[in-house]
Amino acid sequence: MSRVGIIGIGHGVFGRRSDATVQELAFEAFRDALEDAGIARDDIDASVIGSVPEYHKQRSLPGVVQEYLGVNPKPTWLTEVACASGSAAIRTAWMAIKAGVHEVVAVIGCQKMTELSTPEILGLMGRVGEVQWESVFGTTFPAYYALFARRHMHEFGTTRDQLLQVAVKNHHYGAMNPCALFRKEITLEKAKESEEVATPFQVYDCCANADGAACVILASEGAAREIAKKPVWLDGMGCATASMSVLRRPNLVGLPSAVEAARVAYEMAEVGPEDVKVADVHDCFTVAEILAYEDLGFCKKGEGGRFIADRQSYIGGKVAVNVDGGLKAKGHPIGATGVSMTVEIVKQLRGEAGERQVSDADVGLTHNVGGIGQYCFVQVLRRD
Amino acid sequence: MFKWFGKVNFSPYTKVAGFAQELRDGRLMASRCKACGATSFPPRADCAECLSGDFEFLEISGKATLHTFTKIVAAPTGFEDLAPYTVGVADLAETGRLLAWIGDTIAEDEIQIGMDLQVVPRIFEELEEIKVYYTLEKPGTAWTKTKSSA
Amino acid sequence: MDLDLQGKRAIVTGGSLGIGSAIALALAREGCDVAINYRRHDTEAKEIVGQIEALGRRGLAVKADVASYDDAMHMVRTVVERFGGLDIMVCNAGINWDGVIWKMTEEQWDKVIAVNLKGYFNYNKAAAVVFKDQRWGKIVNISSINGLRGKFAQTNYAASKGGEVALSKSLARELGKFNVNVNVVAPGMVMTDMAANIPPEFLTKAMDETVLGRFATPEDCADVVAFLCSDRSRHITGEVIKIDGGQYI
Repeated sequence: MSRVGIIGIGHGVFGRRSDATVQELAFEAFRDALEDAGIARDDIDASVIGSVPEYHKQRSLPGVVQEYLGVNPKPTWLTEVACASGSAAIRTAWMAIKAGVHEVVAVIGCQKMTELSTPEILGLMGRVGEVQWESVFGTTFPAYYALFARRHMHEFGTTRDQLLQVAVKNHHYGAMNPCALFRKEITLEKAKESEEVATPFQVYDCCANADGAACVILASEGAAREIAKKPVWLDGMGCATASMSVLRRPNLVGLPSAVEAARVAYEMAEVGPEDVKVADVHDCFTVAEILAYEDLGFCKKGEGGRFIADRQSYIGGKVAVNVDGGLKAKGHPIGATGVSMTVEIVKQLRGEAGERQVSDADVGLTHNVGGIGQYCFVQVLRRD
Repeated sequence: MFKWFGKVNFSPYTKVAGFAQELRDGRLMASRCKACGATSFPPRADCAECLSGDFEFLEISGKATLHTFTKIVAAPTGFEDLAPYTVGVADLAETGRLLAWIGDTIAEDEIQIGMDLQVVPRIFEELEEIKVYYTLEKPGTAWTKTKSSA
Repeated sequence: MDLDLQGKRAIVTGGSLGIGSAIALALAREGCDVAINYRRHDTEAKEIVGQIEALGRRGLAVKADVASYDDAMHMVRTVVERFGGLDIMVCNAGINWDGVIWKMTEEQWDKVIAVNLKGYFNYNKAAAVVFKDQRWGKIVNISSINGLRGKFAQTNYAASKGGEVALSKSLARELGKFNVNVNVVAPGMVMTDMAANIPPEFLTKAMDETVLGRFATPEDCADVVAFLCSDRSRHITGEVIKIDGGQYI
């Protein structure tokens, strides 16, 4: 079976983009990706949009994005699985190319969060649990992950300092990323002073809502080798699910969907976690990154706190994690995040990450979670 | 009427709507599949094991242990007047898990993972509409069960 | 019809005379333990308690001024202690003190409102607290057709009787979710001590108003009240039932 490669990447600035509509944001990323790939707009056979529609006033996003990009009458459709919508879009494009239906597919992850007010966003995001039995008690998205954090601290002795170190690290790298929402470093002391959100989480444990878009262009192996100087290969594609309700999970100290998606991706790419040099994981909350270290096999179950305390996820450590700032510093335009992660890993594998470059980055990984782990997509990328 | 369940209800129509009626009368119900006997809390009409849609309600004691909890300070729309409130996930003695507010019988500094709890059916007394819910209280907390109005 | 009131515990205010005593005895006959209050008529009160006990039930007479909030709370506490609980509250104690408004003193107004309207608040509240927690209760408030219509020289009485109706309807809304029924009976002319003070020409006028050509006996009222205190009427709440022989249709 032939490989599928990424031939072009584009990434807009994440933040409160009151200056643009969602389709204008999509265009920024798309244009950059076309330029990066060095292809014409007409070479695109189809586009897949990753986005969560409920946050937008515009109904049916793919249509308006297609029109603005000027790629009518090429096929398009939306993929939505909460915060993993971007990765779902990439997977769909990958499947289409693998099946031989299309040759070159643009994937645009785009999202405006700020068309809604903060309580509205809190309410909407909180309903990513089971609304029938949980949202009736006023659950919020931070509260769900806080339940995991509390249990992880209880079972493994993970500390507040270890959790907040994730935020400190990601802000450190985000300061070097011109597309990030937050470009200032923070100290552990500052993080500990911030307001409570859902105990034990404070403001600095939580990623921020943001608007933004990112784009990757996928191509079949034949087309990729022809067009791209440095194609990056999507060699391991894992996708798995877990129960919608946290009440039906086997435990609240890990995401079984991530473990399974990683297993499939590693097997497909014929690598193990020890081979991964650089990774972008889903740090919607500090504890989520710690769970990711464990679920992806970078360390043993329960040792995620020690992993970051020992700086193993910094550049120079065992595997550099979220050195583009992660969701924490970039912000989290939910439909765009999966594509943003992929853009970063492609940059790293091409050696184009500048001061954030991880040396000898030949195998990279993205870990994109939807909701509270209802969905997880793990991608293993390799260069030639 | 399932719309009675919760401060803000998002799913008024469900095959397990009878749950709310029972809760109002002071009874906490799990579901049991009539075909294979599998039980579930929260209740579900369609059996996860054997796919049968034939179920019945099964009253459970409400005895539970605390699995994890969080105090929500930033509240979503419809809950601002209650903030901050503490939500706990409890493992039920008979089957399944439940999420609910930790109630007034437990002080904030008494909350500990692993503690024994009693799930207590409640009515929002000062709302004109009928709205029911349950809270996690100290074991031994009493409540009244009404004769079934069926 | 079996009212299934065996073992229920009731309070009837103003239960030493007239309609109140008939209600107390009717409930006792149906199997209730009954407590009554009295303000002055302790002899009559003891007599009624005797009759209740003769029917094989527990009886209790408590001296209490219905206009006193504290007396009401104390009476309900006492009954709950002595009978082991409370299931039925019938508010019946009431006075009238008639007069055209330009001659009506402040005292005339205040007294009638205090005994009739405030008195019902006092006892309804005391009972509501008990009934709401136990998820079962019946409250019957005795009003009058003169609370539903205007009556010459009864601005104070009519106001209090009309107020009792509105109180009862609002209370029905509050207590419904706790499985507690709150209803009103509104008698027309009843042959009791209160009626003995009415001049004959007014009695004739009242008789002419009825379509049945008769006045109610206290037992006519008691039977309806007993029905409303039972689960036979469990789906009736916030209702007003006239017992007036068609006096006011």
